[in-house]
Amino acid sequence: MAVAWIGNRETLVERAVAHAATLLGSSRCPVFSFDTDIHGTRAAIALAERVGAAYDHIEGAALARETALITDKGAMTIAPGEARRRGDMLVIVGDLPKEYDGFLADLANSVPDLSERNAREIFLVGTGRAMPSFLNGAKATRLAAGKTGLAATLAALRAQCAGRKVSAPVSKFDDFAAALAAAKFPVFLFSGLTSDTFALEMLQGLVADLNGKARASSLHLPASESGWGSALASTWMTGFAPRTGFARGFPEFDPWRFDIGRMILAGEADLHLRVSTGKPAPVPKGKTLPLIMLAKTLKPVAGAAVTFAIGEAGIDHDAIVYRVRTGTLNSVAVPAASALPSAAEIIRSIGGHVSPEAGWPC
Amino acid sequence: MLTRISGGEIVDPANRRAGKGDLWIEDGRIVEAPQGGVADRAIDATGCIVMAGAIDIHSHIGGGNVNTARLLLPEQHAAHLQRPAATPLSNAGWSTFETGCLYAKMGFTTVVEPAMSPGAALHTHLELADTPIIDKATLAILGNDDFLLSMIRDNASPAMVEDYVAWTVGATRALGVKVINAGAAAAFKEDVRTFSFDDVVPSYGVSSRRIVKTLQAAVNGLGIPHPLHVHCNNLGAAGAADTAAETMAAAEGVPLHLAHLQFYGYGTEGKRKFSSAAARLAELVNGTPEVTIDIGQVMFGQTVTISSDVLRQFSARGTASPKKTVIRDGDGNGGGVVPYRYRNDFYGSVQWAVGLELFLLITDPWRVFFTTDHPNGAPFTTYPALFALLMSRTAREEAAAALPKAALALSTLSSIEREYTFEEIAIMTRAAPAKLLGLSDRGHLGAGAVADVAIYRRDEDIAKMLGAAAFVFKDGDLVVKDGEITHYRWGKALRLNPSPDKAMVRRLEDYHQQRYGLSLDWFTFPDSAIAREEPFREVPCRS
Repeated sequence: MAVAWIGNRETLVERAVAHAATLLGSSRCPVFSFDTDIHGTRAAIALAERVGAAYDHIEGAALARETALITDKGAMTIAPGEARRRGDMLVIVGDLPKEYDGFLADLANSVPDLSERNAREIFLVGTGRAMPSFLNGAKATRLAAGKTGLAATLAALRAQCAGRKVSAPVSKFDDFAAALAAAKFPVFLFSGLTSDTFALEMLQGLVADLNGKARASSLHLPASESGWGSALASTWMTGFAPRTGFARGFPEFDPWRFDIGRMILAGEADLHLRVSTGKPAPVPKGKTLPLIMLAKTLKPVAGAAVTFAIGEAGIDHDAIVYRVRTGTLNSVAVPAASALPSAAEIIRSIGGHVSPEAGWPC
Repeated sequence: MLTRISGGEIVDPANRRAGKGDLWIEDGRIVEAPQGGVADRAIDATGCIVMAGAIDIHSHIGGGNVNTARLLLPEQHAAHLQRPAATPLSNAGWSTFETGCLYAKMGFTTVVEPAMSPGAALHTHLELADTPIIDKATLAILGNDDFLLSMIRDNASPAMVEDYVAWTVGATRALGVKVINAGAAAAFKEDVRTFSFDDVVPSYGVSSRRIVKTLQAAVNGLGIPHPLHVHCNNLGAAGAADTAAETMAAAEGVPLHLAHLQFYGYGTEGKRKFSSAAARLAELVNGTPEVTIDIGQVMFGQTVTISSDVLRQFSARGTASPKKTVIRDGDGNGGGVVPYRYRNDFYGSVQWAVGLELFLLITDPWRVFFTTDHPNGAPFTTYPALFALLMSRTAREEAAAALPKAALALSTLSSIEREYTFEEIAIMTRAAPAKLLGLSDRGHLGAGAVADVAIYRRDEDIAKMLGAAAFVFKDGDLVVKDGEITHYRWGKALRLNPSPDKAMVRRLEDYHQQRYGLSLDWFTFPDSAIAREEPFREVPCRS
């Protein structure tokens, strides 16, 4: 099976690797964007250091909001298992990724076995108009402060919980307050998918306030599982989350400067290496750059200087991935690996060509 | 390859060897001097002290909470050096790569991450696998998890508890077991805000004491070499010395290790009701031979506290500097990350003095271990300065001169003349940790030991001497020369591998299916997940 192309021409993987290494070696400002498993991330970061690239996750904007919450303010969070077993009041804040509907349905329709209440009460803050499908008939109360946005609704909710007056009160606040008073462990579910940074911070302020007198926490459901997994690996490897660059040899974290989409749009980047775990992800708009694409594809990606066909992590080969169901990294074993190489294998090969004499860290 | 290290002063208390002599290494092991052997490589150690590689038994170097701390504080660990060719990412501030390199430069070759959440074992081992050069090990946290608390509540048999502990240690690839503020994290989930040794976790009716005693018995019964590693209740509180004393008394002749005792060495004397109780605790340790302790020394400066004692970390949120924290309710313990700056004010000075008093007043260097509880008392990079304080009364007096007299008046530090010798340093940082952890292949320079060797060029400046080794060998491979890393190699994670009981595995499978809606497979992993060649090395349990 052909697994590499230079332009539109099928070629040996070794030749494509050498060509990609040449492109990277001659680039003045390469950028990497990826959506891959932990070992793919590790390899990509190691290569980024080698060639002085900046890197980001493909869902970088949402991930940046989530990491900014931690770097700027901090948070009170709960493990998903504990949320399932103790959360007798669930407050769904903003829209959550559709990929988690199965988990959320399980949460909404199960009972917390470690709570003496043995039931869940559900509230919605700032979600769309329709009741989320994952509720599957479970009763939920919607909270809104007029037509204000999510952050303003959370601010009003926080103020009213603290006994302060607000200009636009939250609808059904009394129901919410009564539920809070009865709950043993309220859990607020959030994601960086649609919530802005201010809303995320306001939510954490509310959770912190509630913990002054009783227990509460928040369940972080990352906008992208692979994004959060990559954030974890990036943090232990470089000290920083993605949107880190090696232009000066050492890692620098700057969520604005190393926003890969911005760098491409502004014409700062001169080469783009992109890794998609599944089908080729669309490339950010902007100046057309030489593109090295790693994706699960049967044909060369249009416009790419080099294309590598890689396997999908956890489908074509064993993988380490972040899972919201456990809130940590899990091992995924596949019954039979396909012939397609992993992203990590291809990236390591490229790294070996870029500077064969140097050590390789992973 | 045969290597001869000649002319150095050997300090090897485990083998009662002290004085000038040669050391021979072959194929990663220390060997007897070969008859007529000709070395392939000669190391001139004239003017140097030669010791085994050092072992740190308690340093938070990897795992979920450590990584959260990195994420919380990007401003604290920016790097400033250019890209190194031979050691990629070793200039990345507070990365796993930098951690391995900095430890190796000081002559440390084995480090124990003492707080691995069982559910995050894979994450922890992935980080440790990216920590170059040194060998690593982990302690699995138990004692706040529903499964164990339910078993204790239901009066499960000791054998059943042992089966659970054995499964946890084996599945998580741990070297031992740690209990952190036993029961407090579970109680905190039920809105309990303080928790002492005889307090009871509400829903289980189980006291902290009972949890500790249950785990101590299981660890001992399984033949796990390292005694139960206990983080006591009431960490950091004035009067916590009483809690530590109660816990020590509960050892009752069975081995027990108390972690970072400095953080419990506080009395309630003086107008601020905060004083040193180190002399009292040291006397108790001296009189309780089954108890070992590590210190958790405080050194002044910025750090971040990282602990699975979520109750304590929650209560410390107000002291955060800078003002941001992460508090997590986990499946068992969870954890908290609270940045903190130790200032040389009254309270910081009392803490500083307490640690040094414990080091100097506990008479047996085989039972007191050298730690700062990295990074809780101070980063491990302060070790050289701490060695200097232990080995020189003058250095202590100079440091104390800048501290508030009111603080030092509430401690005995100024009256202590003791200065650690190199032999005592070698016991405390090499021979004793190896013995405590059941690692017979290291901590000494006898034939058959792994060739983990640290060679320090003598210098009157102890911090300079011990801060940058002249040579360090890891498994016989020369990895540090003149205080600089020469290249990477990948150490192992040392682990126990007790056989899992099949009935317990079935029970755990049912439990996870019922309680979490997930198969037990979600909480286990194969060795191949680490993606390093032979990432683990097995250590036997006591027979």
